[in-house]
Amino acid sequence: MGRLRIMSHRGDTVVVWDPKKAEAGDPEALEAVREAERIFAEERARGATAFAVKPGQPAQRLEHFDKTADQIVIVPRIAGG
Amino acid sequence: MPAFQVVEIGGLLLALGVLLALVRSLYPPVSQQLRRLLAAYRERVEADLRAEALLRDLLTESEYEQLRATGYLEVCSRLCPGRLYRIPAHGGLVGLYEDGVLVAGLCAQPQTRIPGPDVVALHKLMIEGNEEEYLRTANHLKPWMFYSARRRRY
Repeated sequence: MGRLRIMSHRGDTVVVWDPKKAEAGDPEALEAVREAERIFAEERARGATAFAVKPGQPAQRLEHFDKTADQIVIVPRIAGG
Repeated sequence: MPAFQVVEIGGLLLALGVLLALVRSLYPPVSQQLRRLLAAYRERVEADLRAEALLRDLLTESEYEQLRATGYLEVCSRLCPGRLYRIPAHGGLVGLYEDGVLVAGLCAQPQTRIPGPDVVALHKLMIEGNEEEYLRTANHLKPWMFYSARRRRY
């Protein structure tokens, strides 16, 4: 299962999709992928940064939504304090 | 527990209940405010729990143990060998070390409010996956400022 986790003041919001079902053309899975893609683009437009995360491996920054990623974490924009 | 103590505690609880009922009936705004405060507190606790679960998910077992035991998380640079970052568990400056020597305190904060454990995760992800921009964005403070900030905090 693919997961998109967006950090916010309420903790993280999670959007889940099934890449195998999406690949097979399942309408619900495709809808979930589209929703994740929409949120990804919206957050990126706000200045957030996205990372693909795999257990035990360093995070990789993502410029574009990757529906094959196991887990994507979106963090808010940072500023120097 | 002796019987008189049970009676005492029961009496206290009853008195507290009567007092709360009185406040509620006489001062509805106070009661509403209390309810709002409680709801906000509950929301914050739930956010903290979710953030803690995400952090636990993103860290290895040994990284999580290190964070709990020492109060900071160490992340090695992918750009520069010998460079290391220490992310504090409870906020404050991130220590930038070169070959084991503290060279700067880095100050970078999320622009929207997120729970404490999410802040730790944010620093780790940015350092691992976007180190150049992280260094460009963060304010670099002198090492002595790093130590004085720590003293003020703890």
